[in-house]
Amino acid sequence: MVYPGSNKLVRWLFGLYISQSVKRNFYQINFNEIPVDRSRATLLLANHYSWWDGFICYHLNQLLFKKRLHVMVLEATVKQWPFMRHLGAFSINPQSKDMSRSLTYAAGLLDDPDNLLLIFPQGKLYSNFINDIRFEKGLGRIIAQSSGNFQYIMAASFTECFDHKKPSVSLYLKAPAIPPGNINAVNDAYTRHYNESKQLQTQTVV
Amino acid sequence: MIPHKRNAAIQKLFHRYVNYRVRKAFNVMPYNHVNIKRNHSILLLCNHFSWWDGFWAGWLTDQYLHRDFYIMMQEDHLESRKWLGYMGGFSINRQSKEVINSLNYAAGLLNEPRNLVTVFPQGALMSNHSEDIHIEKGIGHIIKKIKGDCQIIYYSAFIEYFESFKPSVYFHLLDCGTNHNFDFEQLKSAISTHHRQALKEQVNVKH
Repeated sequence: MVYPGSNKLVRWLFGLYISQSVKRNFYQINFNEIPVDRSRATLLLANHYSWWDGFICYHLNQLLFKKRLHVMVLEATVKQWPFMRHLGAFSINPQSKDMSRSLTYAAGLLDDPDNLLLIFPQGKLYSNFINDIRFEKGLGRIIAQSSGNFQYIMAASFTECFDHKKPSVSLYLKAPAIPPGNINAVNDAYTRHYNESKQLQTQTVV
Repeated sequence: MIPHKRNAAIQKLFHRYVNYRVRKAFNVMPYNHVNIKRNHSILLLCNHFSWWDGFWAGWLTDQYLHRDFYIMMQEDHLESRKWLGYMGGFSINRQSKEVINSLNYAAGLLNEPRNLVTVFPQGALMSNHSEDIHIEKGIGHIIKKIKGDCQIIYYSAFIEYFESFKPSVYFHLLDCGTNHNFDFEQLKSAISTHHRQALKEQVNVKH
């Protein structure tokens, strides 16, 4: 298993680079402000349709959550792009026995109120036009192993161009109250939030 | 209305520029093939959700549809970028009584089999995630006024990223038949069904 890098200077430099490249490649990153619970860790669940998702959430963390971001990434991807470690990436390999170590590590991160754990619960890249978001089982194990004292934040993200050359990303954020330890309730709440966000997104006319 | 000032040499250069711009900005731009009828002009209808839509229509015309390119644009847009007139841009102002002149003008261009006219039937920029495609009545007027043979082609385009830093555009083309035995309600229903089907297929595209 690959753990996140701990060098604060390298992390700061990479953070600067990510924010710059997000600003360079996108016209706008839109999101709604939600109250962030500083007394508990944050579990950020987001849909996964692009290579940029992690970077955009990193940028969002710098603007809104301002916590220490950790993100679960497939082992092959972290090994291909080792710099991701410095952005808070740790690895998971669903085909390996090491997987339970990654899940336990992730659950442990949720005990520290300064942490933000970003997970793309779909497990791999899907189209941005999908209607049905299905979570992989790993998230349920993380939730079950954790102490349960964290804040859920759900992010539904959509790319649009409208009248600009560069695309914009709209992130719809919500902090729902979910009964502890029930992965199906989490998946249902996310799907509901995703579809409501999509409805809002499609009402935009320029 | 502002008529086009299309110049074949300038447009040829412009197509090269468009090719350069889209290759630079996008990763892949796959499209499906439809049966393109010989000796027919083409009325190209597309979903309108981005600044790039006109570029893509021009690119697809150059790469695949092989006709002289014309495009119907909002009058204020064409006024602020007058050079687009040389690329085949002509104007429409939906708030003016002249709207009918623009529609007849488009129909006149489509009498020539070597021409292609691009029209955004929604009349405004809509979200790329919209499930419904609204078709303005003017489309029916254009098609009924065409005197020659014209094929109607519609495409839904969708932007995705997947594993690339650059976005990709996926085109889903539909042959909507010709201007003969044309029925506006049937066209609306065919485009609407195709768009919903394209959204379903988009979810399963290879990447």
